Amino acid sequence: MLGKLKAGEKGRIMNISGADKFVRRRLLDLGIAEGSEVCVKCILPFGGPVMIESCGQCIGIRRKEALRIEVERA
Amino acid sequence: MMNIALIGNPNTGKTSLFNNLTGSYEYVGNWSGVTVEKKVGVFKNGEDQLIDLPGVYTLNPLSKDEGVVTNFFLNEPFEKLLNILDASQLRRNLHLTLQLMEYGAPVIIGLNMLDVAKNRGIQIDIGKLSEALGVTVAPVVARSGKGCDELAELVTGDFVGMGKTNLVYYGKAIEDGILRLANMLDGRVKLPIRWLALQLFEGNSYVKDYLVKYVAIEEIESLILSVADSHFQLSGDKQTLEQVIYRKRSETIDKIVAASASRKDNKKVPLTEKVDMIVTNKFLGIPIFLLMMYFMFMLTFDWLGFPLSDALDAFLSGPVTAGITAALAAAGSSQFINDLILDGIIAGVGGVLVFVPQIFILFFFISLLEDSGYMARVALVMDRLMEAVGLNGKAFIPMMIGFGCNVPGIMAARTIETPKERLMTILLTPLMSCSARLPVYALFVGAFFIQHKALVVLSLYVLGVVVALILAKVFSKTLLKGETSLFVIELPPYRMPQARALWRSTWDKGKGFVKKAGTFIFAGSVLIWLLAYAGPEGANISMDDSYLAALGGIFAPLFAPIGFGTWQASASLFTGFLAKESIISTMNIIYYVPDEASLQGLMAVHYTPLAAYSFMVFILLYIPCLATTATIYKETGSKRWTAFSIGYALLIAYLLSLAIYQGGKLFGLS
Ligand SMILES: Nc1nc2c(ncn2[C@@H]2O[C@H](COP(=O)(O)OP(=O)(O)OP(=O)(O)O)[C@@H](O)[C@H]2O)c(=O)[nH]1
Ligand SMILES: [Mg+2]
Repeated sequence: MLGKLKAGEKGRIMNISGADKFVRRRLLDLGIAEGSEVCVKCILPFGGPVMIESCGQCIGIRRKEALRIEVERA
Repeated sequence: MMNIALIGNPNTGKTSLFNNLTGSYEYVGNWSGVTVEKKVGVFKNGEDQLIDLPGVYTLNPLSKDEGVVTNFFLNEPFEKLLNILDASQLRRNLHLTLQLMEYGAPVIIGLNMLDVAKNRGIQIDIGKLSEALGVTVAPVVARSGKGCDELAELVTGDFVGMGKTNLVYYGKAIEDGILRLANMLDGRVKLPIRWLALQLFEGNSYVKDYLVKYVAIEEIESLILSVADSHFQLSGDKQTLEQVIYRKRSETIDKIVAASASRKDNKKVPLTEKVDMIVTNKFLGIPIFLLMMYFMFMLTFDWLGFPLSDALDAFLSGPVTAGITAALAAAGSSQFINDLILDGIIAGVGGVLVFVPQIFILFFFISLLEDSGYMARVALVMDRLMEAVGLNGKAFIPMMIGFGCNVPGIMAARTIETPKERLMTILLTPLMSCSARLPVYALFVGAFFIQHKALVVLSLYVLGVVVALILAKVFSKTLLKGETSLFVIELPPYRMPQARALWRSTWDKGKGFVKKAGTFIFAGSVLIWLLAYAGPEGANISMDDSYLAALGGIFAPLFAPIGFGTWQASASLFTGFLAKESIISTMNIIYYVPDEASLQGLMAVHYTPLAAYSFMVFILLYIPCLATTATIYKETGSKRWTAFSIGYALLIAYLLSLAIYQGGKLFGLS
């Protein structure tokens, strides 16, 4: 799960279908889908959002959603 | 005359280019969703029009600002498209380009952000890219204006091609579906069928609503279902049509990118990431934000702003007033005109102009925040807190903009995807203390809290935010229940703000204030002065017998429990609805003093420090100004919500001021 990665860890997205429909759409807009490589840049405290990097751009999403995205550690 | 539409992904420099091509100034900032409505400008050739649109990733909208673009394509006439691409994110940008080419209008591509791409080690062969797409591609640096003249010549010229409209083959099922829609429409619509069909299959609800005008909804729905079904039959894959279309486009894009771009691996850590390690750090994120705010307030209200405003005050009340008095005497004007100009206009308008330095400092900081890329980080850092009250971090951007002026703040709420959160943001942004409220604070802290000026003002700004957050919680538990909230935010790379861009952005915000002083406040001052000059018993009477006093006197008792039951206070609160800075100009006229310093002296007689604080809190919250109210109405499209935004603000302001004043008295403050 993407939400389980620690700051600095990398992974490849395996399954994104568990995430909310709109979140999925937005991530797709940004070019992030199954097969994309992602790297967790930082995690905000108190269950706050995570900042991830993929293809040279940074994106923030909520931890809750990140926990629904399956990744394979790289 | 031609209409040329400027379109591209968010934050790719469209508005920067627009400003360069038209010589005008529209709002530029380094985050996604700066432009939220369509803006029209004229090319420097004086003929053709350029239309700046909000940034979109695709023509299938999720939020209201994106809907503006889809509506534009469906309903408005234009001749050509100017598509801006971010060279550092070619793949994602080309998804939009393919959709534009399916639309089939003549298109030119401006390739921007080449400097960013180069830093990342990305090399783009412009000739190959242009060949692959079949359209002209021109490199530009939208920020500095390099290449803009050539681009202007290209787009306004006669040779603009349509590109290859059939770049992507979507498979038999979908291609057949396109033909079937063409048969159903039978030449009744002017828009390109291929584009309409693909958007429909992708689930674009705006396009569906458009088509329903021509074909029965059942027919449309059964077409979509049967295309999906036949795709499954033919290929055996279970993807939705939306996914299939996306994948097919991606495949084509991969080929285009492979042919035209190359990438050297660049191992050095970008500066942006280093900065982010600090400002979005687990522990430092929020403290850094607060520290920056504190710094901004100290500069605006203490270190720099105050001395500058004092100097301006001395200049206006000294040499300027003396000069005008002399000029009036030389012209031999009547006593009435003299009074009107000196006690009405100079007092009213001058009283507001004095605060120009402070306002510009504040705007400078807001522009810095906007242009550096920090804004999106603030949204990220604040998301957890905002989530707890039923909003999302993106709602913090309208609020920050609201510190400058509530009107653009409310407009910025368009980028918030869920209607409920957007409505809440619209309703709560007026609680952000805009720059027009600043003169009131400056006057009162100068008179009562000279030791802790910046801190007292900061407490008001924070109070506005805290009240907004508490109300958000209340609203989301009562009036606006339900609906999941979503938060995905793009964090753009930091960009070193450029002096020129910063100045333009600061000036663009600040000039509104100066302009208002010259028009609205000017007219208001004349009116207020007349109302204070005349009364039921005639003209040139004691001010306590004037119409203004009578009017204010009606409501004064209402305000007695919260510490300022004078007719002067209620009269200025009235004018505050028109524009918040009118409060100050009204007070200047009423208290009839030559300059800011003596007004402050006078205030100490009419208010206690506690009453002054209560008054400031009331001003902070009590009502959105006229322009803000109009914007709330425009953006919500509802008289009820507009009335609600006024009503709840009045109630909260009164209750809070009551609690502060009465509570403070209980504790022995005065
Ligand atoms: N490095 C670099 N930055 C640029 C260039 N062009 C524009 N920018 C910056 O990119 C940011 C976004 O510019 P805007 O013109 O507001 O972008 P936009 O496409 O109108 O954005 P939206 O209205 O949000 O869709 C600003 O901070 C610009 O200063 C460029 O060629 N190079
Ligand atoms: Mg823009």
